[in-house]
Amino acid sequence: MSALDLLQGLSQITWVALAVVSAVSAVRRPTRASIDTALFFGALGSVLVYSKIVALLELPSVGAVVFVVLVVLMAAPYLLLRLIRDFGGVPAAVRRAAEAGLVLSAAASVPLVLLPTPTPGETPPPDPLRLAVTLYLVVYFAAVSIYCAARCAQLAATSRGMTQQRMRSVALASYLLGVVLLLAGVGAVAPVLAPVTSGLSQLCFLASAIFYGIGFVPPNTLRRYWQIPELRSFLARSSTLPRLAMQEIVDDLGGVAGRALGARATIGLWDDPGGVLRFRDPHGALPTEMGPSGFIAWRVFSSQQPMYVDDVARVHPENAEAYRRAGVAPVLAAPITAGEHRLGVLEVFAPREPLFAEDDLQFVLLMAQQAAVVLESRALIDDAARVRAQEETARMKEDFVSAAAHDLKTPLTTIVAQAQLLERRAEREGRTAELDGIRRLMRETAQLSRLVEEILDASRIERGAFPIHPEDCDLAVIAREAADRDRPGRQRVELAISGPVSGRFDPDRARQLIENLLENALKYSPEESEVVVRAWCDGDQARLSVTDGGIGIPADDMPHVFERFRRGSNVDHRRFGGIGLGLFICRGIVEQHGGRIWAESQPGRGTTFHVSLPRMPAGTGGPDAVPAGGVASR
Amino acid sequence: MSVLAVDDDPSILDLMEDILSGEGYRVLPAANGLEALRVLDADRPCVVLLDMRMPTMDGWGFAAAMRDRGLRYPVVVVTAAENARAWAQEIGADAYLSKPFQLRDLLLVVERFCGPAGRPGGDPSGTVGFAY
Repeated sequence: MSALDLLQGLSQITWVALAVVSAVSAVRRPTRASIDTALFFGALGSVLVYSKIVALLELPSVGAVVFVVLVVLMAAPYLLLRLIRDFGGVPAAVRRAAEAGLVLSAAASVPLVLLPTPTPGETPPPDPLRLAVTLYLVVYFAAVSIYCAARCAQLAATSRGMTQQRMRSVALASYLLGVVLLLAGVGAVAPVLAPVTSGLSQLCFLASAIFYGIGFVPPNTLRRYWQIPELRSFLARSSTLPRLAMQEIVDDLGGVAGRALGARATIGLWDDPGGVLRFRDPHGALPTEMGPSGFIAWRVFSSQQPMYVDDVARVHPENAEAYRRAGVAPVLAAPITAGEHRLGVLEVFAPREPLFAEDDLQFVLLMAQQAAVVLESRALIDDAARVRAQEETARMKEDFVSAAAHDLKTPLTTIVAQAQLLERRAEREGRTAELDGIRRLMRETAQLSRLVEEILDASRIERGAFPIHPEDCDLAVIAREAADRDRPGRQRVELAISGPVSGRFDPDRARQLIENLLENALKYSPEESEVVVRAWCDGDQARLSVTDGGIGIPADDMPHVFERFRRGSNVDHRRFGGIGLGLFICRGIVEQHGGRIWAESQPGRGTTFHVSLPRMPAGTGGPDAVPAGGVASR
Repeated sequence: MSVLAVDDDPSILDLMEDILSGEGYRVLPAANGLEALRVLDADRPCVVLLDMRMPTMDGWGFAAAMRDRGLRYPVVVVTAAENARAWAQEIGADAYLSKPFQLRDLLLVVERFCGPAGRPGGDPSGTVGFAY
């Protein structure tokens, strides 16, 4: 077997194999492009099979059969042209010219079949008609092939990624096929050159088969290989992507997906409050906002299943014109979902049906999953920034409240001391008529001072800057002092205290705690009723309770009793003053002592506030604690 | 007996004058630390009532300058700030008074350093501290 035979055999096998593969794929998924592909490879493959059978079995050539074979062969370039039209469009004039050329070829083949076949070994006499017909057929075949090559080169130049690779491959294959035909023409005109031209033409024929295969029916491994560079560059960038603005991320993701598949892509993001998918750069037939509908993007988003549609106009015939104008024929779409969190849809679309394969859906799904990771990271970054901003606002608010309350103290200083001075002088000089007014002034000023202090305390607690200064003291003594203070109301304060309740507490804050609870109890209690203050030791805990027979706390309000600015829903704000800070401060004091405060209440019957403080809180028993009072010794 | 009152708020200075002169003390007013130092060139008060946050020279500056000159007068920090006690300790003051203060606390603290001016005082009410 000569090298030429081997080459010939290889190229025959390749063509026939491509014919079989494309026929199988056309049967599996019969689209215009897959059928055209099968016809093209089938035409050449069947001619090769026929001639092989004739040669092997040494069959006599029958005129009619030879004619059919010739016509099928001559149909190959026309089928190629149809295929190019499926991929990128061919002007109608060119198509008509090719059809006319084909009819002419069929007509021209008739004399070729009718003329007597020269017997092998015998040099045929030169026949001008045969030569002319052969030349016409060769030139027609070569011209159409070379036109297809040029058109594909043009398509390759305007496309990218995988599509560009495929078009380049088809262009090269078509040039090679043209060369095969030209070499055949040279061989026919100058038979002396035949040994050279036939070898070269077999080589070109094999190469063109391979490149057609790559271009028209690329194996999946090759498709993946073409997608890798884009995927790699995307992965290299993906760690920095979440830092970009949302829109840049979406554009970048769409760009990568589009480039990898040699197509265009758009991303629809789910707008949860709006209940719609929002597309920034939708193709002409896609709305910018999409609610429940039959659109592929919506179907994919709601079903969470990826989808490949080879001709979207078939799915939405009502939008066919818009799709055509927008250059959308096949669509690949996949949901962008992070865990349970549905973020949106990735849609890749191309102007021509054969540009995508079923297998590309896996790639789109992979891209959508990567997009989900990037978008979810972006959302987390946004959330963190929002929380920081909220914290900053809260801090500024606290700072403002603190500064405002502080500034109130300066004028209060003058008012408080001046009122006390007036009282002192009026008392001394016996101007009793003025005393009532002055004392009213003092009472209200004291109330104002207390409010300012409460606001400052609450703000300190909120900022976590509420220090206590524990020292050895007796809660029983402090409770007694608090209970004994003169109060305006007519309720009675009963003390139920047996023995000392000593421990390490901040005496000023403990007094504030008991007074707040007591005032709270008195405020909401009816006239002539009784408020009971209890204090006792319970192991290592100091216990306090303040019980009233007041209006009580509704069950719904119970969880919020100790929150800032909270007042009971059953409180008549005109009747009972206050800004809802007292119990919040009580909780702050108790928690600073490492203790616990809680309430028990029966609406309409009364409330008991319970406090439990560790008598020896951890870390406060050091010898450096300072005693109260006393002039510094220097 | 004279009391040096240092405060950038003229109302407070007037108030001190009003209260303390009525009790038989002489009040030497100063609007900031620098003025107070000038007063000390001519007078020898029995106590300095010192605001902390003032323009030109604040309470810290005044305390340092006084130390530099070897002057030793009892100092009472009078401030509306939360950390009156800490600031008093910081500059080595003898006591502190939180604004708004009670009249009797002011009288008590002045009496403590200047001796009684004839009128009775009372128990401290919480705005005064001598505590460290």
